[in-house]
Amino acid sequence: MPPENAQMFLYLSELLGRPVVAAAGARLGRAVDIKVHLGELYPKAGTLVLRRRSEKKPRSLGWAHVDRLDKRAIVLRPGAEASLGELEVGPDEILVREDLLDKQVVDTQGARIERVNDVHLLLAHGELRLAHVDFGISGILRRLGWLRALDAAWRWLFGAPIEEHLAAWKFVQPLASDPKRNLKLNVSLRRFHGMHPSDIADIIEELDQANRSTVFRALDTETAAETLQEVDPKLQLSLIETAPPEKASDILESMEPDEAKEFLSDLPDEKKDRLIGTMERPYREHVEKLLKQKEGTAGGIMTTDFLALGRDQTVGDAVEAFRKAFHPLETVAYIYVTDEERKLAGVVTVRHLILCGREEKLGALMNDRVIAVEATDDVGAVTDIFNKYKFLAVPVLDADRRIQGIITLQDIIQETAEEL
Amino acid sequence: MLGEALKRRWKGLLVFLAVMGPGIITSNVDNDAGGIATYSMAGAHYGNQLLWTLIPVMLALVIVQEMSARMGVVTGKGLSDLIRERFGVRITVYLLFGILLTNFGNIIAEFAGVASSLEIFHVSKFVSVPASALLVWLLVVKGTYRSVEKIFLFACLFYVTYIISGFLAKPDWTAIGTSLARPSLDFSPGALGMVIGLVGTTIAPWMQFYLQASIVEKNIAVRDYKHSRLDVVTGSILVTVVAGFIVLTCAATLFKAGIRVETAADAALALKPLAGRYCSALFAFGLLNASLFAASILPLSTAFIICEGMGWENGVNKRFSEAPQFYGLYTLLVFLGAAVILLPRIPLFRVMLISQVVNGLVLPVVLVFMLILINSPKLMGAYKNGRALNVLSWITVAVLAVLTGAYVVSLFA
Repeated sequence: MPPENAQMFLYLSELLGRPVVAAAGARLGRAVDIKVHLGELYPKAGTLVLRRRSEKKPRSLGWAHVDRLDKRAIVLRPGAEASLGELEVGPDEILVREDLLDKQVVDTQGARIERVNDVHLLLAHGELRLAHVDFGISGILRRLGWLRALDAAWRWLFGAPIEEHLAAWKFVQPLASDPKRNLKLNVSLRRFHGMHPSDIADIIEELDQANRSTVFRALDTETAAETLQEVDPKLQLSLIETAPPEKASDILESMEPDEAKEFLSDLPDEKKDRLIGTMERPYREHVEKLLKQKEGTAGGIMTTDFLALGRDQTVGDAVEAFRKAFHPLETVAYIYVTDEERKLAGVVTVRHLILCGREEKLGALMNDRVIAVEATDDVGAVTDIFNKYKFLAVPVLDADRRIQGIITLQDIIQETAEEL
Repeated sequence: MLGEALKRRWKGLLVFLAVMGPGIITSNVDNDAGGIATYSMAGAHYGNQLLWTLIPVMLALVIVQEMSARMGVVTGKGLSDLIRERFGVRITVYLLFGILLTNFGNIIAEFAGVASSLEIFHVSKFVSVPASALLVWLLVVKGTYRSVEKIFLFACLFYVTYIISGFLAKPDWTAIGTSLARPSLDFSPGALGMVIGLVGTTIAPWMQFYLQASIVEKNIAVRDYKHSRLDVVTGSILVTVVAGFIVLTCAATLFKAGIRVETAADAALALKPLAGRYCSALFAFGLLNASLFAASILPLSTAFIICEGMGWENGVNKRFSEAPQFYGLYTLLVFLGAAVILLPRIPLFRVMLISQVVNGLVLPVVLVFMLILINSPKLMGAYKNGRALNVLSWITVAVLAVLTGAYVVSLFA
């Protein structure tokens, strides 16, 4: 037996099933699980779960009562029998065999879903800690009892052992195997935060429904919005539906208004109204306006993310308005200039803002021969205009020539790509 | 309001059409080469004597498929996934190995179907089988399968010919009625084997894995489950009606004439009342379609469930380097299955029947796993089996187990 302070690695499969023996030698039962408190980098397995043959319910025992690991048995310190208690799993705690072994987890480093074949534990200074998770074929073989024989055969054939596939615990994100326990794991879903939204989207697509919504709900608003846009369109709806309404509208608000509108127009009316109802005011008005437009018209694909200022305002005002814009603008190429009746009068480019003095009036700088479309115009007609004039964006007007929104080159590309 | 009601009806229909598919497709694949061979032989060799067995088989099929669909919708996980999570790696590995062998038998049967259907057109199996294996492999690996699936499905209208032929053959309807009303079974190894084959081909173990996986892939919400159930029940009834007509038609033509089915040309004679001397061509077409349809699905679904249970990357949207086990297994199943048929003097129709008998022997084992899983409140919550359904399904398992036992005993007696 190694001294107390020595370190040793062992696999969960080697620990489970071992007899648990009292210091005096009496057999108390068999090890069936260990309980771990998540949170630390290498979480401590504080509790041993054992089962007696005659009893239905498992019992728990603090790991501190373990004296040593014998060749075949787990030997306890004197008097440990008195501390046997009922098994309770608190928040942020998991049972390694019940909740982790054979279950799916996310490997956040490789950005893929893996199945846990075995768990690698570190025993140091009398404490048992979760160190690695085994995703490899060697884990399966170990549990089947074939590893030794097959490994020998492999070495003989190829001159090298069967490769292990261990991942450090810090890169492993457990998932809930039981939908009712999802809430519990919520706290520990932090590991997703470092991942790229498109990787998260790939993983979400492969998860089952319950885990999908748990993971999605655990993401922060911005990541959720980006992930949502990356995910398979068939799943988008069910994801946003499972998020609480407050959060759902926050997620939508961090998208461009026209993208948010695309989303909302696919939802059932009741759900749509509820989501719109919880949005902040200026954003809400934009989206509502967009939703009123007819499909297939210029109004249907426009965005309300644009800047319009009066003739008498200066370049300085425009720069200021730019800074204060409530949302990172989709297209910053043009600033529209309106007259006293708020009708479109001309356009100023970003070039002007950079090259001209802050005091100059927009009315004097603007180009007044603006090409615009009407909200009711057909998308095809708009595409023709983009083809002909090579603009980055075109303003959309109502019947009174008041500017309603803009269509960007990006919108048109997306529209024509969908048709193809 | 009338308008409201109509609107709701219409909306229900739309949801059904969106949810529909897995059940109907599974059922049509169910009538694969092994199926056609088994039904033909049952009718040709035993007349209408075994026709009645299809009624309890249909009930069992509905019960079993409904459970698969329900588990898929509620858990959002495949069957081998659930088995691994609930029973651990040891049981999973051995069970999946058994399923792998059983499915491999079915894959061999599909290529036997290809070989025997094209033999009618005097195409040597040394040409038809490698060519079809390559075709199937390319369809899936190149990702064109989805578009071809609709063609396969459409060609399944071929089964209608059995219904027409069945009527044209003017069977003795009163005799059929008596056989249905007064079930009889002799316990000879041949008859027992045939019954197990009928059960195994109609309720094949692979179907439960395949159906559940397709339902999961469709992401059907729990609130739309009732539509999914309708899909599955429709499919199950459809497959049994077709099976019944194949048996009945073969009984009215082949059994009456005393023809024993050993080759596709023999089985094709059942379609003579409808197609006359073109019956061989018609039958060959139908058998070829059924074989190719199933040959595209079976190796794929087998590779899929094995990888799912073992935790290996899978899916046709992955590259070969991302999912080597998946593609390796898939390729091996297709080409090894085809290679077996190239063995000289292999009795094609016999191979098809035997594979279905193996299906029948493995089925009760799979059902036991399904029943344990679907009764877990942790997994299924409010959707676990009710008492009546449990009684019915355990009776099914018990009957199957008794049949299997009797068959094994009769083989050695």
